[in-house]
Amino acid sequence: MSARDTRPGSTGGADVPGPLYGGPDDDYTPEQLAAMSPLELDRLGARYDGVEILHVDPGPEPGSVMEQRAIRQVGLIWGLAGLFAFLFVLVYVGSGWFLPDWQWSITEGGWSALFTPLLGLFMGLSLTLVGVGLVLFTKKLLPHETAVQDKHDGSHFDRVTAGATLVGSYHNSGLGRRKLITRSLALMGGGVGLMLIMPLGGLIKSPNKGNPLGTTAWGEGVRLVRNDGTPIRPGDQEPGSLETVFPAVPGGNRQADAATMLIRLRPAQVENLQTREGQGDFAYGEYVAYSKICTHAGCPVSLYEQETSRILCPCHQSQFDVTQGAKPVFGPAARALPQLPLDVDDEGFFVARSDYIEAVGPTYWNRERI
Amino acid sequence: MARTATAPGAPTTKLGKAALEVDDRMIVAPWLRRTMNKVYPDHWSFLLGEIALYSFLILLLSGTYLTFFFDASMREVVYEGSYAPLRGVEMSAAYDSALNLSFDVRGGLFMRQLHHWAALLFVASIVVHLLRIFFTGAFRRPRETNWLLGVVMLVLALLMGVTGYTLPDDLLSGTGLRIISAILLSIPVIGTWAHFAVFNGDFVGEQIIGRFYIAHVLIIPAILLALIALHLLILVKQKHTQFPGAGRTEHNVVGNRLFPTFAAKATGLIFVVFGVCAALGGLVQINPIWLWGPYNPAQVSAASQPDWYIGFLDGSTRIFPPWDIELPGDYNIPALFWPTVVVAGLMFTVLALYPMIERRMTGDTASHHLLQRPRDVPVRTALGAMGLTFYVWLMVAGGNDVIADKFDISLNAMTWVGRIGVIILPPIAYALTYRICLGLQQHDREVLEHGIETGVIRRLPSGEFIEVHQPLGPVDEHGHGQLAYGGAPVPKRMNHVGGARRAVRGFFSPVEEPTQVEIEQRAEGRGLATGESSRELTTSGRPSEGGRPSEGGRPQEPRD
Amino acid sequence: MSTTNPQSEATTPEATTPEATTPEATTPEGPARRARARRRSKHRRRLANVAGLMTALVLTGALYSVFAPAQAADDTTESAAEAAGRELYERSCITCHGENLEGVPNRGPSLIGVGEAAVYFQVHTGRMPLVRQEAQAPDKPAVFSDEEIDQLMAYVQANGGGPTLPSGDLRDGDLAEGGELFRLNCASCHNFVGEGGALSSGKHAPSLDDSTDLEIYTALLSGPENMPVFGDNQLTPDEKRSIINYVQTVNTQADPGGAGIGRIGPVGEGLVIWVVGIGALLFGIFWMGSKA
Repeated sequence: MSARDTRPGSTGGADVPGPLYGGPDDDYTPEQLAAMSPLELDRLGARYDGVEILHVDPGPEPGSVMEQRAIRQVGLIWGLAGLFAFLFVLVYVGSGWFLPDWQWSITEGGWSALFTPLLGLFMGLSLTLVGVGLVLFTKKLLPHETAVQDKHDGSHFDRVTAGATLVGSYHNSGLGRRKLITRSLALMGGGVGLMLIMPLGGLIKSPNKGNPLGTTAWGEGVRLVRNDGTPIRPGDQEPGSLETVFPAVPGGNRQADAATMLIRLRPAQVENLQTREGQGDFAYGEYVAYSKICTHAGCPVSLYEQETSRILCPCHQSQFDVTQGAKPVFGPAARALPQLPLDVDDEGFFVARSDYIEAVGPTYWNRERI
Repeated sequence: MARTATAPGAPTTKLGKAALEVDDRMIVAPWLRRTMNKVYPDHWSFLLGEIALYSFLILLLSGTYLTFFFDASMREVVYEGSYAPLRGVEMSAAYDSALNLSFDVRGGLFMRQLHHWAALLFVASIVVHLLRIFFTGAFRRPRETNWLLGVVMLVLALLMGVTGYTLPDDLLSGTGLRIISAILLSIPVIGTWAHFAVFNGDFVGEQIIGRFYIAHVLIIPAILLALIALHLLILVKQKHTQFPGAGRTEHNVVGNRLFPTFAAKATGLIFVVFGVCAALGGLVQINPIWLWGPYNPAQVSAASQPDWYIGFLDGSTRIFPPWDIELPGDYNIPALFWPTVVVAGLMFTVLALYPMIERRMTGDTASHHLLQRPRDVPVRTALGAMGLTFYVWLMVAGGNDVIADKFDISLNAMTWVGRIGVIILPPIAYALTYRICLGLQQHDREVLEHGIETGVIRRLPSGEFIEVHQPLGPVDEHGHGQLAYGGAPVPKRMNHVGGARRAVRGFFSPVEEPTQVEIEQRAEGRGLATGESSRELTTSGRPSEGGRPSEGGRPQEPRD
Repeated sequence: MSTTNPQSEATTPEATTPEATTPEATTPEGPARRARARRRSKHRRRLANVAGLMTALVLTGALYSVFAPAQAADDTTESAAEAAGRELYERSCITCHGENLEGVPNRGPSLIGVGEAAVYFQVHTGRMPLVRQEAQAPDKPAVFSDEEIDQLMAYVQANGGGPTLPSGDLRDGDLAEGGELFRLNCASCHNFVGEGGALSSGKHAPSLDDSTDLEIYTALLSGPENMPVFGDNQLTPDEKRSIINYVQTVNTQADPGGAGIGRIGPVGEGLVIWVVGIGALLFGIFWMGSKA
């Protein structure tokens, strides 16, 4: 030991090998271990891990008919797996080369519609067969052992010693006595924690500034236009029809809350028309306009049944009656669809008299306050 | 250090020497041996969680591939790709890139579909795994933490699904996003603030796809990955549960060592799961976004549904009555709040806390490593059946428009069926399950006491006819079995105890083979009479000859 | 993409003959327009102004001069087709739609103003004649032959007036524009690609899988039952053709990603993952766990 301490590069510590980790090397000398068969070594190791092999069903006898059959089976399955894998490669690489083009086109069926299914079929078969072969191999060609392993409950010794270390450190730190340290620690922890999450404040935006939820692009004199931007005259629609209209502002047809249903009622519906209080003059002749955005969850309601005067929402089946101010008559919606006051401008095109007088779309906490 | 290198029996092959070099540096041998020697119980139901694990693996791999092509942006572009019916249509870059991935990337559609099927499978296998854990009582002490982690992962999996479903920005997912927005808005007090924080303003804004994307590909998967690691670590630490059976106790695990049997089977399962997903991914079309069209807030389609795992929330929303609650001060709580936030919140809270609830109710605070058969815990099993009925019923209600359309039923009637069913069906399920459990228990006890019905009728000297019963163990002076019920399956047919006929290999379980005698009899065209005397039989109510238990009379291990 | 509905084409020769025999029609334009319609003139749609009508009158005259001598004359004010149509009407429709098309309260609506388009749609899809009153008339195999349908159309058109059948290639429109219009106007009830969907109280929007071009066109024009009407000023004939082009193209196009499972989205997919996916894997692990 002393000679080695002064070797160059050594810092002076002892340079003898430490004890080997992980096994009772003192109990078993290398010579003893070398004398044991692999099976004995395996069992020895297992015993050290608390595992006992109770029972072994040996695999099939080498050279037996059973073994031959199992080998053929597994071999065939893995062979097929390889074959299908190559077929996958063939289809993937070959399409558009020596096979027809893979790119799907509307006018032809044939290969392009088969490309993806073939890829799936071959990869699916190939991988499934790999797995099946592996399981068959395990079941038919490996010995089956039944092993039992002990479960250890927690050790009292470990608990006590680990606890002592923890408690000792706490005691040494004096945090129990040094109140100032504890308090400043709490302050520091709180402050630093808060500081670190502060940048998330960038996500916060006020929903109450300018009432973005309660207003739309509609307003006095804004024309009703179709998706392609053309304005609408009162004569354009037949009785019993519905058209989705948008405000004539830039990007009006892409706004999430502006879509409106312009409905021309049949004469029979006009006779029975009831409006909501204070909205008696919102209709224009046979025409009524309601927001297309459901007051329940915001889906576009437009499943208009012209005979029963109902509008159905396809998401949660709320039903609204257009002859009763689009009030909900069935389903989970609780609020009528807002009505857009209609008028016709000098050139004879439909315009809105104002924005919707209530918030459009799903209900929220302070909807009625704004 | 190289004591082993010079010791007798040192490796001589190249591979062996290389292994030695590795272990010299890393010291992996003890860890490796412990791992390979770890015993796993062998039962099919323990592989359910693995299906979930492997589908997550597939999701990571295929998802990474998809990110190479996907552009999570809401910038407006005009489609110029190869799908003719959309050429020239304005759409978001996200939808455009998803279309290009489907039509202009070789094998891209296959990978997209593979990813989506694996996602559906991921959640489905989590649910099945959860049901197995629940009904066998595997969540009991000391495994409450892992149960809790599992429920959290289920919720995260749902969030994964929702964010992923939204990404292509097609008309279907956009409708879903619209409903998510409405649900956020419906939260009392903070709803509008939460909405503006998530969407960066009013619906739909320009940020949401990008935000959902980063949540979908980074934040949630990272958390999920960490939780999966923790889940498995705890599993390894606590060791597996097992069903009761011969030689199985609270303090051991009986089964196969990890290497090679269990490892080979598990690897086989990875490939099979991968294969099933690949086959579905190619052969069954999923989410054909080109048919849905780009999202436009003014457009919608009949039968707009979420993926199946959100179906229960869609269903609860559909059948909930229109109860907006008006509060003083012109505030209100929208009807949408209850069936979405509250129902989901309650369901997952109850689920997460169930181990604690059960512990409180039963007062059972002991550690359990042996599983219970569902019939032995009728209250829990009935509660589970009740919850499951509730869940499945909501899911059915979520597809009520498709059911109404396909089976020509009134949609309004379907809504009412949903409303009434959700109230009366769960209690019925509870009562029925409870009764069935008791009946099964009783039958087990009966067989233990009186033996297995052999189907052999004997006439006593007094003229009375009796059926001969095979006792399963030693009997008392009245001929009643003395075996106690041990929580393991009780054999109920003669071939279960090997008493009737020799068993041969079947596909799942042994199949009985006609006895030699029977074959002879068949050949001779005679009845059973001659073969009968060769078997040892006892009658119920009379001691068997010598009171000796017949061979194979003890309950066997459960048939795994 | 084929051109038009083959069945309508097949009716053309028979239909032309009796109609053109009329020496004096009640309204001069009536037979002329019908004759032109039957001939599938490419120009018909563009002749919606007075000049067009004048040309039409001239053409009618020319047609008369060609056909009239060759055919038997009939002195009534009604063409043979209309007369046959009346007979059919009085046998099969009058109970609900009343004498002179004015309708019977609570039984059948008036047919005044519905036009031949409505007759074509209702009768050709088998919805009329109705078997019994229910939430919605179901479609079934047509009761009347194509010739009889033509006669009924002639009768209703002559006595009630209203939208007429279109002519020309009904798929002559822009595919992508048709898709946009379909998603905006039709998908809400008929589903993304026309698979149909449920409506309130037992009604449903039918699947468009088996609909012919002309059926779709006439349905748009007439708004059968609860379907809203899409008049020519709301959806121009060109736009209607675009929609039909889109619907029929998407209906017939192959599914690139394998089996389409009804193209109804997540409900079908959920069923597949539980039945096929979980089913196959449960089978697999059951087999893996079984004893060898």
